[in-house]
Amino acid sequence: MKVGIPKGLMYCKYHPFIVTFFSELGAEIIVSEDTNKNILDAGVKYCVDDACLPVKIFHGHIDSIKDKCDILVIPRIMQLWKNEYICPKFCGLPEMVINSFDRLPVTITEPIYATSKKKLYCWAKTSGKFLRKNNHEIKRAFVNALNAQKDHKTGIDDSGYEINITLTGHPYNIYDSFLNMNLINKINKLGMGIKTAEFTEEDILYQEAENLYKRPFWTFVREIYGFALNAAKEKKADGIIYVSSFNCGTDSVIIELIKNSLPDFPFLILKIDEHTGEAGINTRIEAFRDMLERRLFNESHISTLG
Amino acid sequence: MYYMGVDVGSVSTDIALIDKNYKLIEKIYLRTKGNPIKAVQEGFKILKSKYYDSEITAAGTTGSGRMVASAIIGADVAKNEITAHATAALEIDKDVKTIIEIGGQDSKIIIINNGIVTDFAMNTVCAAGTGSFLDRQAERLDIPIEEFGDYAAKAVSTVRIAGRCAVFAESDMIHKQQLGYAQAEIIRGLCDALVRNYINNIGKGKTILPKVLFQGGVAANKGMKTAFENELGFEIFVPENYDMMGAIGAAIIASEKVIKTGKTRFRGFKLADNNIFSRSFDCEGCPNKCEVVKIYENNNIIGYFGDRCTKWSSKTGEITKLA
Repeated sequence: MKVGIPKGLMYCKYHPFIVTFFSELGAEIIVSEDTNKNILDAGVKYCVDDACLPVKIFHGHIDSIKDKCDILVIPRIMQLWKNEYICPKFCGLPEMVINSFDRLPVTITEPIYATSKKKLYCWAKTSGKFLRKNNHEIKRAFVNALNAQKDHKTGIDDSGYEINITLTGHPYNIYDSFLNMNLINKINKLGMGIKTAEFTEEDILYQEAENLYKRPFWTFVREIYGFALNAAKEKKADGIIYVSSFNCGTDSVIIELIKNSLPDFPFLILKIDEHTGEAGINTRIEAFRDMLERRLFNESHISTLG
Repeated sequence: MYYMGVDVGSVSTDIALIDKNYKLIEKIYLRTKGNPIKAVQEGFKILKSKYYDSEITAAGTTGSGRMVASAIIGADVAKNEITAHATAALEIDKDVKTIIEIGGQDSKIIIINNGIVTDFAMNTVCAAGTGSFLDRQAERLDIPIEEFGDYAAKAVSTVRIAGRCAVFAESDMIHKQQLGYAQAEIIRGLCDALVRNYINNIGKGKTILPKVLFQGGVAANKGMKTAFENELGFEIFVPENYDMMGAIGAAIIASEKVIKTGKTRFRGFKLADNNIFSRSFDCEGCPNKCEVVKIYENNNIIGYFGDRCTKWSSKTGEITKLA
């Protein structure tokens, strides 16, 4: 049995779990390639026009593997933490995909509530049945998948740079180098080190978000806001670069919250969409680096780099 | 001994020569017309008859076309527009606190505190409210863009135009025009809308303190200057060489670079006569299929751009180090 897993959206964070689970159940795993032009073009072609770029790209990943597998996994991530939700587009992702393509293999679209092992197991149990496995086999695959996820560390924590920035935003915008025009590499090349949210304890992210007038409804809001605030306060970085896909609803909230809480902290927003012309994004990052350099070292000289 | 700055923007290509006291000696303002290479060559044709190559001791480029321009002229530095504009503004006025710069497809706000850029913002992925939009409206109304501002000044009252999106603004303008509103009033309404959009979008959350310099091609439009003053409630200043500020900044930065490197990489004005052209192709090396541009000079390849993996651009060695 071939199980297709699209390399889009939260795959970047949770691939060890999902890949291990299905391979432990004896499936042959078909993962789509890294995002590329064909995937982008197919995504734009098949996806509803109003969706954000990462959702369109997810559709492109589906297109690239739909004819190569017997079962397609379309994760419907509902909750990762208690009392919080994920972006509504994640909840309706399977419907968006299923109605955008004429022919698809069998799809696994069970809702994922990852607030406890017990709840997550509900997903595993239903999904495992698609491969005609018994409870015992599913349980074993589930435990191994959880362990694989636990051992897997993502995130960037550069050291040795004079200027450091926190790279914030949704993980699928940060880690998809095609979608963000090789942003991580660009930032490093301009002499800036990167810190991402993964190295900050979840407790701290909660604590920072407690200062807000109400508990955030979206997990992304709490995590990204909490990290930005903490990094600025603890002087982990000299500035924030926020990579945001055009049209993103949660980003529009997070960006305003961060700006309000950190009015004087250097903050650069990079809006990305289908553009492949890099001049705009280069100009912004270079200017941001120049600004940080002069703020930090207060020199009269102007960097002649880039 | 002159320093040269070349600002290759989406709408105009500006070349500035400054002397060692950073005083503007020569300015050339050309329309890019979709062909940055030809625009630079045209500019060089004019300069060639007046200056020797050896008189140029530093060359810098800026603007969205800075990489291509840098490759063909042999620039010492290719600098982003924000830094270039801020450098030029601070050179003419140390007290400047805010720079409003509106160009062909970008609009920017630069906040300066004690001579240091402390914050900036640019329009996001869309070019609503920038020079190219004004250009297009001027063309549609059959009014030379140079006279656009005078029309706005003639208006007694204003018409409200939707300013958030260029397409919305255009439909709104057409609807108002079909209802019989006077052209001058519609144009003034458009200026007001663009200023409103600028303040609420790019300037959002930023305190615009005087002294404000208004630069970039759109600063030529008196209607825009007045609309800004009405909105902000104080006078704003348009520097004498408002349309050259990017180029002047690039020249200053290049001169500082040459102090470090000791020698300019400027390739001379002869390129005006050379046959420079570009060809693009889809690289088939990987599924990214980057659109790579090859720049030729008399059939020799002088540069590659547009590849993500630097497989091509690294071939151009020194030129692409700037990329």
